[in-house]
Amino acid sequence: MGSILSEGFFISLLAGTIRISIPILFAALGEIYTQRSGILNLGIEGIMIIGALSGFVGTFFTGSLLVGLLSAMFFGFLYSLIMGFLSITIKANQVIAGTALSILGASLASFLYRVIFGVRKLPPTIKTFSDLDLGFLSRIPVLGPILFRHNIMVYLALALVLVTWFVLEKTTFGLKVKAVGEYPRAADSKGVHVNLIRYICVSIGGVYAGLGGAFLSIGFMNTYMDHMIAGRGFIAVAVVIFSRWNPYRALTAALIFGGANALQMRLQSIGVEIPNQLLLSLPYILTILVLVGVSKKAEFPAAFTIPYSREEK
Amino acid sequence: MQQEQSAAVHLERVTKNFGHITANREVTFTLKEGSIHGLLGENGAGKTTLMNILFGLHKPDEGKIFVNGSEQHIENPTDAMNLGIGMVHQHFMLVKPMTVTENIMLGMKSEKAPLLDKNRVREDILKLSKKYGFKINPDERIQDISVGSQQRVEILTAIYRGSKVLILDEPTAVLTPSEVEELFEILTQLKKEGQSVILISHKLEEILSITDEVTILRNGENAGTTAIDTSVTKEELSRLMIGRDVLFDFEKSEVPLGKAELEVNNISAVNERGVQILSDMSFEIREGEILGMAGVDGNGQKELCEVLTGLRKIDGGEILVGGEPMHGTSPMNYIRKGVFHIPEDRQRSGLALGWWIEDNLIIKNYFSDRFSGKMLLNRKAIHEVGEKAVQDYNIKAPNSRVAVKNLSGGNQQKVILARELGEHPKVLIANQPTRGLDVGAMEYVRQKILDQKTEGTAILLVSADLEEIYQLSDRIAVIYNGTLMGIVENDADVQEVGLMMAGIKAKREN
Amino acid sequence: MKDNLVKLKSFQEDALASILAILSAFFVCGLMLAFIGHNPFAAYGALFRGAFGNTHKIAETLVKTIPILLMALGTSIAFKCKIWNIGGNGQYTFGAITSIAVGLYLDLPPIILLPITFIAAVLGGLLIGGFVGVLKAKLNANEVITTLMLDYIMLYILSYMVNGPMMDPEGFGFPQTPILPEGLRLMTVIPGTRLHFGIVIAVVMMVLTIYFWKSKLGFRIRLVGEDQDVALYSGIHVPKHLIMTMMISAGFAALAGWVEVFGLHHRLQENLAGNLGSIAFVVALLGRLNPIGIGIGALFFAALSVGGASMQRYEGVPYSLVGIIQGLVIIFVISKVVYERKKEKTIG
Repeated sequence: MGSILSEGFFISLLAGTIRISIPILFAALGEIYTQRSGILNLGIEGIMIIGALSGFVGTFFTGSLLVGLLSAMFFGFLYSLIMGFLSITIKANQVIAGTALSILGASLASFLYRVIFGVRKLPPTIKTFSDLDLGFLSRIPVLGPILFRHNIMVYLALALVLVTWFVLEKTTFGLKVKAVGEYPRAADSKGVHVNLIRYICVSIGGVYAGLGGAFLSIGFMNTYMDHMIAGRGFIAVAVVIFSRWNPYRALTAALIFGGANALQMRLQSIGVEIPNQLLLSLPYILTILVLVGVSKKAEFPAAFTIPYSREEK
Repeated sequence: MQQEQSAAVHLERVTKNFGHITANREVTFTLKEGSIHGLLGENGAGKTTLMNILFGLHKPDEGKIFVNGSEQHIENPTDAMNLGIGMVHQHFMLVKPMTVTENIMLGMKSEKAPLLDKNRVREDILKLSKKYGFKINPDERIQDISVGSQQRVEILTAIYRGSKVLILDEPTAVLTPSEVEELFEILTQLKKEGQSVILISHKLEEILSITDEVTILRNGENAGTTAIDTSVTKEELSRLMIGRDVLFDFEKSEVPLGKAELEVNNISAVNERGVQILSDMSFEIREGEILGMAGVDGNGQKELCEVLTGLRKIDGGEILVGGEPMHGTSPMNYIRKGVFHIPEDRQRSGLALGWWIEDNLIIKNYFSDRFSGKMLLNRKAIHEVGEKAVQDYNIKAPNSRVAVKNLSGGNQQKVILARELGEHPKVLIANQPTRGLDVGAMEYVRQKILDQKTEGTAILLVSADLEEIYQLSDRIAVIYNGTLMGIVENDADVQEVGLMMAGIKAKREN
Repeated sequence: MKDNLVKLKSFQEDALASILAILSAFFVCGLMLAFIGHNPFAAYGALFRGAFGNTHKIAETLVKTIPILLMALGTSIAFKCKIWNIGGNGQYTFGAITSIAVGLYLDLPPIILLPITFIAAVLGGLLIGGFVGVLKAKLNANEVITTLMLDYIMLYILSYMVNGPMMDPEGFGFPQTPILPEGLRLMTVIPGTRLHFGIVIAVVMMVLTIYFWKSKLGFRIRLVGEDQDVALYSGIHVPKHLIMTMMISAGFAALAGWVEVFGLHHRLQENLAGNLGSIAFVVALLGRLNPIGIGIGALFFAALSVGGASMQRYEGVPYSLVGIIQGLVIIFVISKVVYERKKEKTIG
């Protein structure tokens, strides 16, 4: 039985934590825009699986990981437009619409995969993004393997944390997003196009979620499988709520989930006597606990899930 | 004519209808440049509608708008702002969790687009604030500053965006007396700098102290325009504002009054934010008596009604119904004791809009033997009652299984009446029962309330419509700022009541 | 009577919206099939025959209807109160686990034990529902997330149980519990098929739900769902009713778990609930939260599930098409409902 306290274990654990947190991080960052603008998109799970599939398909048929990335972003965007249309234009109930899109997404992806690849003995695979070699950074003992030997998508996600914070806090667009989520009527009275802003935010959410799904298929594993999202989309929604719509806190939360997952995998592999199902359920238990702890005081954007229309009085 | 049209703003024969309600009928209004012009009238006189038209939120059905001499068609607030017209609404258009600077930057072009130009705007705000004495801190969040400061932010926003004409809609409704003084200083300063100001108000004191001219509206029409100088009296303005016309003539039979059914002793209440909303109120209402509670909206009437129906707790004093202490008990207890409530906002708390008429009728007594057996509801009985109510109250609907949201305002109110009056209430709390109704529906509701009086119900009639108060009440109480200003007989001088409503206590102290 | 006509008319309008939604979903999927070279009519034909082709197949369809109907009823009760309980799977699983545990490890004559397992399952559902309800009512925790998370947690607890403490010692290491003795199973209703007494239970619950909405408690729950402000104004204790509703909803799902285990599977296995949760969600909405509509919808989706397998086997159409139809149905239902609402005019 390997030592649980060895340096190798910790390094592997922390590096794994970062890697495993990435899908949730991508999805959560996108959902921050969406929720900040006042829309609850529960369809993230569905968008992620669509992203996973389109990323894989794009890469498989062109041999280019970049094409895979772009197609994941594109199809994630397209699929999220449905959510936008249902929530903003049709003004349907957002909980139902989002859940429906997640159900639909899973089946749609499964269906398309079968149609495209048929039934094969061995699943088709691609070559994923390789870990980068960042020169001397990658060779620093301990920190090197933990922080500086990931593939490019990992760094993209981490960069997006900064970008998201910057856009929301420092740009005119970000200001409009926040106003639209809090008091759409006030934003409207100042000439802001409320519904356009919301459409943009849902679309950003879709692009990011697509990336999150693609990470699983082309950045981490090397294939697509049904059910590979395993609830991460819904966890991402919860992460957004209890990180109180802040990108940095979302990063922390995503890392905690990643950590729980990474820990479970490694404990299992070194044969520790904790039933692995308990560890597998850790992220989900954690989500409930933190959500409960935060919800009483959480200040949701005031116009959360409320569609806007300029009523005449 | 020429002179009028070249004024800062000139509205000529503006008419605006909402359905069959005429909010403004051929109203003419002229704002001279560099003056403060008051727009005076009661609730519902059409003041806000007129200004909303000027600000581009409504389109007039008839009439013309002139700004600085040229005719304009103002389609939306952006048009209005481009013409130099700014408006500070009763409900501030401010995003609470954001700072002053952020709110002012919202929607404006940034010099450093797409980035925010926070520092420059901050500097500008500080400069403007200093110039007019606003005392605004640009880095504070709206939710952390006082209401008076929030209002100043709204004014500053308008000025920053280049307004030359500033419309203020009931600005002092939410201010403390000292904040009102500060506001008036600012307005005087603005006037010196060349701004023209329109001040919508129903408060005579303010009109007299700060405005140069005043236009009075009554029932959607012009009722007079006069310059404000030392010769103008409150009584004169009050007469123009309220008028002497009697619209309806009601059958008021002499009903012998019984014992005190509702007793309120020294009640006080503090709201969630620690603000005192009711202070030491005491009154009683006897069987068969209507006590009118006059007062301008927002002076504690809503909270008083909530307290009297168990929807809000009191922090002092007691409430007795039929001699029994009720304070601290649940809403259901009040209902069981026979206290019924016509709520102020019928659509928000009074009616389940998506439900049928007959189901709305029984939400308070579905559990009684008439409407349910041991376990199940008796749909047949409910339907019979529903159909009877539709007939008795002349509700315009094919049957009682129509969703309430499809009824007009007047008919919705009738559903509430049918429910609240149908169970022989001991106490009826009627809060603004005719608000938003057309003339016919108003008459109907008032007659029904009078009928209830003959049944021996003790009625509290809360209304911002003085005419209604006078028509129906046996005695008249006035509420101002959560306090009872006084209770007078129903033949009391209108001016005296009007003054109490404006916060001025009667000269003769008994 | 004129008034019954009004009732019928609104029922008709609801039904029409749902039927249109189904037809639209089939149409779109038909186009998709044609686009990839399948014959939609052949595919749908196989679907229909697979579900209703002979007595045995009809019985299978009915078997599948049972859990769907029960879970969808439970979901609809929560939805009517605007509580978004989408974690039927987790509640189902919990009911299954508690009842099997009691059934396998309590030594009592079956005639007493069977009802006790029933009670255990329902109590399990009430417990988990109460937990979610309290979190929502008192702590403002979003029930969509909490019930979904519990779904996954229960999935893993089940996995742990059948791989560990509850594993059948004579089961060759398969992740499953020992099989229930004959006396502890629900009787078969049509000999030679798998159709068990659960169908009676499901139909009874459907009828009970119809009466539930006519009861005083049902009235209050509906009012809370329609408008919490009005409910408060009319004297209802809203948080208490939110919790109660969630408990009842979870109770139905747990009952579904009990019925499936004691009537069909006779043991616990991994991932017992499968995709029942999402099907229940769809059926509840498709049936417009009306028990009879749900009954019809449950039958329809059971047919889809059962027939879908035939469609895959004989026409080579991937089974996931069924899931696509499900998702499209909801989208069309909510789009049409809102469209209807927009058309309503004011009278008088």
